[in-house]
Amino acid sequence: MIKHESIETNAGLLIVLTMIVISIGGLVEIVPLFYINGTVEDVAGVRPYTPLELRGRDIYQREGCYLCHSQMIRPFRDEALRYGHYSLAAESQYDHPFQWGSKRTGPDLARVGKKYSNQWHVAHLNNPRSVVPQSVMPNYPWLLKNDLDYSDIQERMRALKKTGVPYSETRDEYERNVKQFGKSVADKLDILHAEENLISQALVNDYDGQPSRITEMDALVSYLQVLGTMVDFSKYNEGYFAKFR
Amino acid sequence: MPEWMLWFTKFENSKVVALLLFFILFCGILLYIYTGKKRGQRLESYKYIPLQDDDSDRHAGNGEVNKDE
Amino acid sequence: MAQAAMGSSQQYNYEICRKFAFMALVWAVLGMSAGVYIASELAWPALNLDIPAITFGRLRPVHTTLVIFGFGGSALFATSYYIVQRTCQTRLYSDWMATFTFWGWQAAVALGAVSYMMGYTQSREYAEFEWPIDLIILVTWVVYFLLYVQTLRRRSQPHIYVANWFFMAFILATAILHIFNNLAVPVSLFSMKSYSLFSGVQDAMTQWWYGHNAVGFFLTAAFLGMMYYFVPKQAGRPVYSYRLSIVHFWALSFLYMWVGAHHLHWTALPDWTSTLAATFSIMLLLPSWGGMINGIMTLSGAWDRLRTDPIMLFLITALSFYGMSTFEGPLMSLKSVNALSHYTDWTIGHVHSGALGWVAMVTFGSFYHMVPRLYDTRLYSTRLVYVHFWLATIGIVLYITSMWVAGIFQGLMLRSFDDYGNLAYTFVETVAFLHNPYMVRALGGLSFLSGVVVMSYNIFMTIRNARAEAAILEAKLAAKMARI
Repeated sequence: MIKHESIETNAGLLIVLTMIVISIGGLVEIVPLFYINGTVEDVAGVRPYTPLELRGRDIYQREGCYLCHSQMIRPFRDEALRYGHYSLAAESQYDHPFQWGSKRTGPDLARVGKKYSNQWHVAHLNNPRSVVPQSVMPNYPWLLKNDLDYSDIQERMRALKKTGVPYSETRDEYERNVKQFGKSVADKLDILHAEENLISQALVNDYDGQPSRITEMDALVSYLQVLGTMVDFSKYNEGYFAKFR
Repeated sequence: MPEWMLWFTKFENSKVVALLLFFILFCGILLYIYTGKKRGQRLESYKYIPLQDDDSDRHAGNGEVNKDE
Repeated sequence: MAQAAMGSSQQYNYEICRKFAFMALVWAVLGMSAGVYIASELAWPALNLDIPAITFGRLRPVHTTLVIFGFGGSALFATSYYIVQRTCQTRLYSDWMATFTFWGWQAAVALGAVSYMMGYTQSREYAEFEWPIDLIILVTWVVYFLLYVQTLRRRSQPHIYVANWFFMAFILATAILHIFNNLAVPVSLFSMKSYSLFSGVQDAMTQWWYGHNAVGFFLTAAFLGMMYYFVPKQAGRPVYSYRLSIVHFWALSFLYMWVGAHHLHWTALPDWTSTLAATFSIMLLLPSWGGMINGIMTLSGAWDRLRTDPIMLFLITALSFYGMSTFEGPLMSLKSVNALSHYTDWTIGHVHSGALGWVAMVTFGSFYHMVPRLYDTRLYSTRLVYVHFWLATIGIVLYITSMWVAGIFQGLMLRSFDDYGNLAYTFVETVAFLHNPYMVRALGGLSFLSGVVVMSYNIFMTIRNARAEAAILEAKLAAKMARI
């Protein structure tokens, strides 16, 4: 039997025992999340981001939006009225990293997609107080000025592919995506055509109101407009999601 | 996996087992630390370690080693 | 007396403690200035000035990184090196390793701050460093670990004093947390950008396991190590109960790692995980208060010291704030309370009652004790210590109370309904309400910051006087030699 005396006098033993003691909690709480079925709900519609949305998400991270906006609606009456259906784990399954946030200096954005027009978002991001006088959000005028850098979009998608996001490079991967997401989505998840997809999404939708240019604003607004819109909640009854909690 | 081990994979069971194990371990530590007069004295004697290194406070000083002088 | 001290400054590596202590104060002033600035941005958004690098979103990680890792981290390096040498009565194992940790750590903090302002961030709170900086930290940390263990191994005491246990747990836990929370795939070898290995719910759990244990081991366990040395030293009497400190150590190390998920109550994280975390959070109250009582009762029978010794005042006030925030923490981890408090400024207030009240105050007390000893001199001014104490205390009180008001009232407003069952307030109405508490908070922060500036001046003058004294002593010696 180990005497406590030998722990106090043996640095090695102290280290080993401390390691054991501090490891248990994390192991018990984190590891099962990867194995228990049902941690992430089985739900249709959630797909990886298109190249343009992905670049928008990068900009969202770059500007530190997550510090004031959550993307996690809780199952309360007031949040349901204010933001919509509570967030599912499935809805952030392709989010590397997650953007749930920890503080709402501004409102939750988990379902902000399609709630406002593109023009509203552009005006708001450019100068929030022009549309919401009491807002304390900074102005982001440079989003309209900076051309979007998408030179490394393929590398970005490949890095995400390594983490497990189903972007496709080979024929097989593409076919798999067609089966899972349908052809029109699968086309946009193709790494080899990332650049043309990005350009066409930006030009067709013209998020920033500057048809001749692709700016950072295009990317960010395209990301905001897709948030929370992937799952069609009318297809599921309430009891279904409750099972997973 | 043998039959009896499956019992542990159920959350309802393993939770209680883990709780019991840790609780017993904790009681063991408490018992070890707070029983035995000699052990108690020995453990408490360590609290003087920080005070034995004193050089600039006058009241201690016996622990100080000045090899060169 | 002087001779003995000369002896000890040769026996021990004090140079490294001086360097780290100096940088701790530099980062404190810079990091808290950033804090006051972003607090003001929330009250007066025009202060963002449309300059990308200083908008709230980019400057907030600069603030947290500079105060936690710059100020807190450097203070921990300084005091842990001081304590391990003095309680083991041996010199640090290696001078170059110590110097290496100094430059590695300072480089990581400085590069981190600059990179956030340029827009490079992992967007994981308190782990915003992008992958190249993570690697610098990793190497630095491994050297720190080896240096610490080797120093422990060559101690001239059979027993390892409990303060060192806390530092050991801090070093180990920080290593585990840092490695697992920063697993990421870089976009390319020459790109600062990376994507985290995990996603969604698993990523959230990993991040808050990290986030809360950064508080638990970086900002609590390690500072408890500081407390277990400097409180007895400054009081001139041993800690209240050594046996309690052993129980304190094992219970705290075990329990802390379970509680991170209380940051994810009511989210898409499975219920079992957050329930487990809430349960452990409540249990954690016991070791936390055990430690607080152990520290405060060290002064039992010598309470009058609080009237005459401002350094003691800092240390005991720090312990009181520690007790207060470790009570508030379990309270906020209750799901019903959390439903209101989460996402509001109550959390921000809670963090600061721990960070300013406990972490910063115990560091100030320890530095006022340690720095004069590092330079073998006396503190320049005791009166300025009192000034600092009151500026700090008033600052904290303003900060916490304004955030309580902000958080609780915003929470209540957001969940109130009118007679027809509609929401009583829009979100932006609560933002408008926050304007006044935000102004008070900025004022509180400013008061705390000016306290640190006073301290820096006091420490600067102490060091300058020490250098002057040493020069005079040397001149006298030289004159004596010349006469002979």
